[in-house]
Amino acid sequence: MSSTSREGWGVTNLRLAFPKKNAMLFKDLSFDYQRGEKVLLLGPSGCGKSTVLQVLSGLIPHSIELPMRSDRQEVPNNWGFIFQDPDTQFCMPYVDEEIAFVLENRCIERAQMSELIQRYLDMVDLKLENNHQLIRTLSGGMKQRLAIASILALEPEVLFLDEPTALLDPNGTEQLWKTVRQIGKDRTLIIVEHKINHVLDFVDRVVLFNQHGEIFADGPKQETLARYRDKLDEFGIWHPGIWSDYEKNQIGNQINSEHAESILELKNFAVLRQKQVKFSADHLCLNRGEWIAIVGENGAGKSTMIEGIMGLLRTNGQLRWSFDHPENHVQFVFQNPEYQFVTDSVEDELAFSLRVNKMNEEEIARRVDEHLERYALKAQRNQHPFQLSTGQKRRLSVASAMINHPDVLILDEPTFGQDAKNTFALLDIFQQLRLAGTTIIMVTHEMEIVHHFATRVLTVENGRLVNDCVSSEGGEERNRGQRLGEHEQVVF
Amino acid sequence: MDNVWASTNKLFFKINPSLKFLLISSLFIVYLFVQNLNTMIWASFFFLILYYLVSGLAGKWSFWFVFLTLIVSLFSASAMIMFGKGSHIIYHQSLILITQESLARGLLLGLRTFTFSLIGMIFATTTLPVPFFYSLMQQLKVPVRYAYGCLAAFRMIPIMAEEFLHIRQAMRVRGMTRQKGIKPLYERMNRYSLTMLAQSIRRAQRTAIAMEAKRFSMTERRTYYYEIGWSRIDLYFIVIMLLTVTLGFVFAAYFPLTPFTNVLDH
Amino acid sequence: MSKEKSTNLKLNLTDILVTIVIALVFGLVFRLMGPVYDLVKPFGLHLDALLYGIWFIAAPFAALLIRKPGVAFLAETAAALAEMLFAGSGGVINLYYGLLQGAFSEAVFAAWRYKKFSLGVTSLSAFAALIASIILDAGYAYLPLLAGWNLTLYLVFRVIGSILLSGLFPYALVKGLEKTGVTQSLRPVTKEDYDVLN
Ligand SMILES: Nc1ncnc2c1ncn2[C@@H]1O[C@H](COP(=O)(O)OP(=O)(O)OP(=O)(O)O)[C@@H](O)[C@H]1O
Ligand SMILES: Nc1ncnc2c1ncn2[C@@H]1O[C@H](COP(=O)(O)OP(=O)(O)OP(=O)(O)O)[C@@H](O)[C@H]1O
Ligand SMILES: [Mg+2]
Ligand SMILES: [Mg+2]
Repeated sequence: MSSTSREGWGVTNLRLAFPKKNAMLFKDLSFDYQRGEKVLLLGPSGCGKSTVLQVLSGLIPHSIELPMRSDRQEVPNNWGFIFQDPDTQFCMPYVDEEIAFVLENRCIERAQMSELIQRYLDMVDLKLENNHQLIRTLSGGMKQRLAIASILALEPEVLFLDEPTALLDPNGTEQLWKTVRQIGKDRTLIIVEHKINHVLDFVDRVVLFNQHGEIFADGPKQETLARYRDKLDEFGIWHPGIWSDYEKNQIGNQINSEHAESILELKNFAVLRQKQVKFSADHLCLNRGEWIAIVGENGAGKSTMIEGIMGLLRTNGQLRWSFDHPENHVQFVFQNPEYQFVTDSVEDELAFSLRVNKMNEEEIARRVDEHLERYALKAQRNQHPFQLSTGQKRRLSVASAMINHPDVLILDEPTFGQDAKNTFALLDIFQQLRLAGTTIIMVTHEMEIVHHFATRVLTVENGRLVNDCVSSEGGEERNRGQRLGEHEQVVF
Repeated sequence: MDNVWASTNKLFFKINPSLKFLLISSLFIVYLFVQNLNTMIWASFFFLILYYLVSGLAGKWSFWFVFLTLIVSLFSASAMIMFGKGSHIIYHQSLILITQESLARGLLLGLRTFTFSLIGMIFATTTLPVPFFYSLMQQLKVPVRYAYGCLAAFRMIPIMAEEFLHIRQAMRVRGMTRQKGIKPLYERMNRYSLTMLAQSIRRAQRTAIAMEAKRFSMTERRTYYYEIGWSRIDLYFIVIMLLTVTLGFVFAAYFPLTPFTNVLDH
Repeated sequence: MSKEKSTNLKLNLTDILVTIVIALVFGLVFRLMGPVYDLVKPFGLHLDALLYGIWFIAAPFAALLIRKPGVAFLAETAAALAEMLFAGSGGVINLYYGLLQGAFSEAVFAAWRYKKFSLGVTSLSAFAALIASIILDAGYAYLPLLAGWNLTLYLVFRVIGSILLSGLFPYALVKGLEKTGVTQSLRPVTKEDYDVLN
């Protein structure tokens, strides 16, 4: 059943369910694509995009056994897959070994390997002093590039990309898409991506999913996006211009001056990882009711900074909270949502910190229900946190920190992997909390959020706090205008 | 793990790992049938010397390692020494009955364990997992799926260590460590072990999927990034091992330190 | 229609990798347990025999988790190999013990055709591994030459220890893991799961 003759692949009438669930994720889903097509799959978080890619590549059911059946499942002979979670895609510890593994699988002679490894690394512009470097020590952006290099080593006809840029800084994102554009010229690309402004100019077909895992639109990008513009909002799909729509009904980032009361002070503060200083700041004072955005490149030390503030890493210098028991007032959300989870179901996860605080069960049940609704996790309430989609995991981790109404909320990239609807819902909640006096400290790569919401921006560079500025509305406004203009040109 | 090895340049690192593995594990058979206490004494002596000469472990480490191993090996024979059968009584009080025979047997047992530990340590401290598993595939034709499974698993160890830290951090962040008392303590331990296991399993699954996504085929045909071959050092190694073993037997014959040439007699 | 899977009992890559990783975890535990275990030895009262059961845990644990042929043997062997590579005390002996214990443990699950994974069967597999270790010990450690009461103590402790630590304990652990949902994707898809698709 060689598929090359027809030059097209896909799946017909796919039915798929997860074990022990009563409902199907896909019911009679059909999707076809031709050689050379560049397709973008869009849909709300949790609609099944990652799952669909795995079916199209044959990973389901070949490597992942799930109850599924279909009338036809045609898989390309030669494909490569970039996974949503950056840490899941490597099988070797060293950079060169990772690519060599692919070459071994292709039975390439050993003598050619070093040269080829270098060639694939060059293709993605990954420059290392020594190719025999531990993958763990690469920054997020470099990891993603390596992932692409090792996929290229497969010489695939078809590339499946599942949100490859969710954790990259704006610069890294741009470069990554540039690379993909280059290498994708004469290949087939199937892309899942929430943030579409970098992708739209080189895909030619857009497929829209609704939250029930059904395809409701499929066609050339211009027409499809224009025709379903209102639907896009309804299903929370990011589209150019969405920020300007959202902006109309939001409150802005003025500071509540009446709350100018210090809550945290750092002096000669340094955070160490493996005995090396990875973050330092001479002096920093944070006030109640601020919305503090921490920005910086991949690997700059943002996560290190806030983990240090939380006391999770070894620190030097002075760190003074204005609370006697900061652990009762401060809540933290890890960059990797999986680190957050300590129970076996979504429900328990939400209830956990309430139970620690010995709240009565009725109140707990009420709050849990309310949050399940608010964070769009109702259908998943009995699922194990690890069995959620990436976006759902992220929402759960944020929700479980918020449910206790903390005075300070420290979040590490709380909006990555979210669809637009959920992002705005989160932002609205943060904003409400802030206006009620909660201090929000968040690491983010999302410059729009910084421009719209932050009252103060901390910039981290090379492990140092290099800039601390109070956000000024006027200047930002102009900036934003330009940015949106750019996006608009790209599509319409 | 890397920092424990003092130097990976030592001679024994360059031996073909399969050969090393086969030869060293076959020594088990040799010493299993030795009932002569003298042989065991001399054998452990010579292997001790060999260990010091070839071990890749840093000096301080290796002394304590060996010392502890010796103590522990003798401990493991304590039952045999104190409660074994025998007729030439050395010491007797209530249940404890130390006889010459049981003492000799106990010592032999202890030394045998000690020798095996030494041999195991010679192997462990001079063999890196990656070349070892590559060699198993290339020389011993171990199926690639098992060898790669082992390789991938060994490479997860540092990640597992990190994961342990993450779990601890999560517990702190979520306020689990603040609860005092037996029940929360139990719950924490429970969570630790379950989460560690669950995470390891998930990681293994993901890695398997990643490997298959990169066209890893479970059939045998493939090329190798690291090719493990043979060299003259392998010959030296065989000679060294034969010499060590022979010396033990020869010295036992010519310089017997004890009268117990067969601990099963008497 | 793509084929409807009959329960497939051949080991795939995921099964192998999961088994080996589990074995490695236990190999590490063995290595760390080693000194504790050695410390209780000197009294000659075989208190160590009570703990001995932990040495068989990898096989039943992996078998309960994955429920396919060969898993128990692979797990125990790999765990022993790992312990050897970590320079555990005993060195090469462990490998032989691991091989035999794994084979015996496996045989019990095989006797039930890999259909039954109850507490009873698990305990029985622990017991089988125990027999394997005693066979090796009889030759290696001169068991018959111990005083009668001491030998009895040794045997009783071992039986208790192995049933507790390699029968009950892994059973409880796997039950706990089942709640986390990771076990779901390890086991063959059942008929009921397919029924949802109709
Ligand atoms: N192992 C599992 N068991 C049960 N349900 C699962 C499992 N994995 C995923 N799901 C559910 O299947 C649905 C689709 O998941 P999938 O990861 O495909 O979503 P997605 O569209 O990629 O979302 P996101 O944009 O957040 O990554 C989700 O609702 C998720 O909760
Ligand atoms: N577990 C670790 N062990 C050693 N070094 C680490 C570890 N985690 C991060 N680093 C290093 O510390 C530095 C700061 O990393 P950090 O995770 O704080 O970056 P970041 O600003 O949060 O980046 P990103 O945007 O990719 O999340 C980087 O140079 C990184 O290589
Ligand atoms: Mg996804
Ligand atoms: Mg970070």
